[in-house]
Parts: sequence; C-alpha cells; structure tokens
Amino acid sequence: MKEISMQSLKNHFSFIIPLFILLFSIQFSTMLDRAVKNYESRLAGEYTIVVVSKRPITPQELRRTLPQLKEVQELSKERYIARLQKKISKSDLVFLKANLPHFYSIRLKKLPSSDELAEITRKLKRMQGIVKVETYKKSFNKFHQFLTLSKTASFTFTLFIGIISILLIIKQMEIWTLQHSQRMYIMGLFGAPYWMKSATLYKSVVIDALVAALLVGIVFLLIPNSANFASIYQDLGINLRNFHFLSDVGRLLFIGLAISIIAVTVIIIKNRQR
Amino acid sequence: MSKIITAENLQLAYNKDEPVIKNTNFSVEAKDFIFLKGKSGSGKSTFLKSLYGELPVSSGKLNVCGFDMESISRGKLNLLRKHIGVIFQDYKLINEWSVEKNVMLPLMIAGYSKQVCQMQAHKLLKHVKLSHKIHKYPLELSGGEQQRVAMARALAHNPVLIIADEPTGNLDDYSSEVIWNLLKSVRQHVGSTIVVATHRIPQTLGIDYKQYFLDEGNIYAVA
Repeated sequence: MKEISMQSLKNHFSFIIPLFILLFSIQFSTMLDRAVKNYESRLAGEYTIVVVSKRPITPQELRRTLPQLKEVQELSKERYIARLQKKISKSDLVFLKANLPHFYSIRLKKLPSSDELAEITRKLKRMQGIVKVETYKKSFNKFHQFLTLSKTASFTFTLFIGIISILLIIKQMEIWTLQHSQRMYIMGLFGAPYWMKSATLYKSVVIDALVAALLVGIVFLLIPNSANFASIYQDLGINLRNFHFLSDVGRLLFIGLAISIIAVTVIIIKNRQR
Repeated sequence: MSKIITAENLQLAYNKDEPVIKNTNFSVEAKDFIFLKGKSGSGKSTFLKSLYGELPVSSGKLNVCGFDMESISRGKLNLLRKHIGVIFQDYKLINEWSVEKNVMLPLMIAGYSKQVCQMQAHKLLKHVKLSHKIHKYPLELSGGEQQRVAMARALAHNPVLIIADEPTGNLDDYSSEVIWNLLKSVRQHVGSTIVVATHRIPQTLGIDYKQYFLDEGNIYAVA
C-alpha cells in the first residue's frame, strides 16, 4: 500500500534526522577535541620555559620539583661570551665567566593551563639559586585562550544540539508508540508476549540508528577531502584527517542504539502503565 | 463432558457501583455451540471480554479452559489467549499488515515456522473465499471481507474456544453465510467450543446449539 509505505518512510526519516544531527554533533565535537589535542601536543613540543640560576641544577633536581618535565637543556654560555670577546677586556671577561648565571631551557610533557603555568613558575622560583623564570606568558596565553575557546564552543554546541535532538527523538518515539499501540493491543489479544509486541519498534530503531551512524561516517569521510575545508585547516595547522571510520562509526552506532533503545523502552513502559 | 467455562456468582463492572453482570452462574461444556442473545447494552460484549481477560472479574469466580480468571497472571493470560480465537465486531485487523500476515498472527505467536504459518493462512483464506486478496491490506477490503479475514485469523491456530462478538452484525448475506458455514465446519471437524453473541440466530444453521439470554445483568438459559 502506497500510503502506508510513504507513512513508514516518513516515520523513519523523522527519527533518522534528529539522530543524525545528534551523532553528527558528537562526532564533530570528538574531531575538534582530537584536533585541539593534536595542536596542543604540537605546541607543547615547541613551547619552552627559560630558567636562570646562580648555581648548576641537575635534571633530577628539576624533575623532583616538576613531575611534568619532559626534558631540560642547559643553554651554552660560550656562544654569548664569544660574541663579547672583542668588546670587553680579558679581566672583565674572566669576571663575567665566573659570575654569569646558568641558563636552562625546559620542555614540558603537555601544554599547561594558565593556572598550571603560574604554579610551575612559583615552584621553580622557590628552588634554591633560581633568579628568573621566563614563561613567555603573553604569547602562551593567546594560544591557550584560543584552544580553550574552541573546546568550550564545541562542548556547548554539542550539548545544545544534543538536548534538542533527544527531545525530537522522544517526541517521535511517542508518535510511533501511538501508531503502534493498536497493533500491540491486537497482538496482545492473541497472547503475544511483550518482546514480540515491541519487536517492530526495536527493529525500526536498530535500522535507523545504523543508517544515521553510517550517514555521519560518510559525511566525515568526505569533509577532510573537501578542498575548502582542507586548505583552511592546513593553514591553521590543524589535522582534520583524524577520523577512524570503523571505530568511530562503531562508537556512533553504539551511542545511537543506546539512546534509541532506552527511549523506546521508556516510552513503551510509560504506555503500559497508562 | 468437561466444562470449558464456569462462572460462579460472577460480577463484572466497568464502574464499581454499576455492575453490568450481576452474581451470574453459567457454564459451557466442551464442544458446545452457544448463542448469547440480548438487547444492545445488555452486557453480551462485556461478558465475552471477561472470557479472554480483557475485563477483570469484579467478584465471584470465572474459570476459562482451566484458568482462574480472577487471579490470572500476565504470562498465564497470554497462554490462555493462545488457545482462544476471538472474532470482534469491529474486526481488529492490523491495517499495516497484509491479509496473509494478519491471518498468520496467532500461528506466529504460537511459534510455528513461517512456511507452516503461510500454508495454514492460505488454506483458511481459501475457506473464507479470499484467496485472491491474500496480498491486499485490510483497508482495501469491504467490511464483509474484513470480517472473513478476522474469522480466518481466529481459526488459524485451531483454538479450543472460539468467541465471536456479533460476527455477522454488519455483514451482507453472502459474508454471513460464509462465516456461519465456517463456524459449523470448525465445530464438526476441530471440535472447538463456540460462544457467539448475536442479535439474530440464522434460520438454517443445521446443528445443535444452546441459547442463553442476557437481561438485567443475568444470564438465563432459553429452553
């Protein structure tokens, strides 16, 4: 029957669309999070703190104070002294050599937050002999604020879309249950058990969750290959090719199934109690 | 002969203060063909509903096919319903399912294979003269045809008890005749017990039957 098939198709789309939007926003947020983490680790690799100390400091000493320390390197004084050799007297040079402090470049395992950076500075300054800690706070803050903003925006976006999608899914489920209630009632009159009466609903949501997850997977396979996106993100140094089709679609399918099955079960139980 | 339905001081009510059936005693022997007569609103449908557990017993006792209806659990009710075939006045067909699938329903619930369900559905649809409408949907059929499909569905699993609520109430003569002939045949060949609520008993039924009359919430045997 044409009318029934059209209605059934409409019902499927009314469920697939909000589920697709929900899964899309979750995947978008995940991808953005991955890109930000990737960006952060790159920045962490490039980011250094310079420490000036009146006495030599061993890497072990620094590691005890800073567990997040990745590597420490003493900056050679010879280079700077060589530059001054022709400009100052020998006696001054000897004096300078004897009194010039030690310079250390410190790299961390991960990019710290502003608070963590303040704490690191405080700890370093408390160490005996350290006279100056240069964190290049201004440029660091700029990067970090950008990353934090990206993460917050992505999280807010996902949360907002998620709430709207779940409300739409629940509404659609209620419509479905009303449509299916007559069939379930008739099946019950002939002794059908609960699982058999609800099987059609569960079958529908499993198929729809699969379709929605696959659609999101296909979209995310195509986005990084789109010329516009690729060039923008390449310029920003963000890696968008961090979509793993099988594991990501599997995860989306699991989330989609869990949301749909919980929604169907809650609504069927609610209807039964009525 | 064993009793398939026993009611003792049975009271049925939608509203506690206004019982539709009042302290009624009634019994049906296995393989009986029973007609329940009575004017509209006398409680015929209400009584039939209590037989397949759609309406709970208010007080008294009601035993159907060995199940005590006043204390029946959901699981046992499902089991009882697997042994009953019900024909409703408003057909109660599933509109999204084809005629064939509607008839297959009780067999699917009983757990038969798809092939067996289809074979039985085809056989019954042939009996109700609807073989040519097997792939149609209920809304594409006339009222008489829908009732014949409902009839085929009620008989599909060879039920021990058949309950029919005004099965020919709105039907043309041809469809009525098909339905009465089929009920007769089922009684003769399968040995099912049949309880029919109706306004008029067909003149040319040609089998033994018992008549009961419902009035003022009581059931009386008609001699």
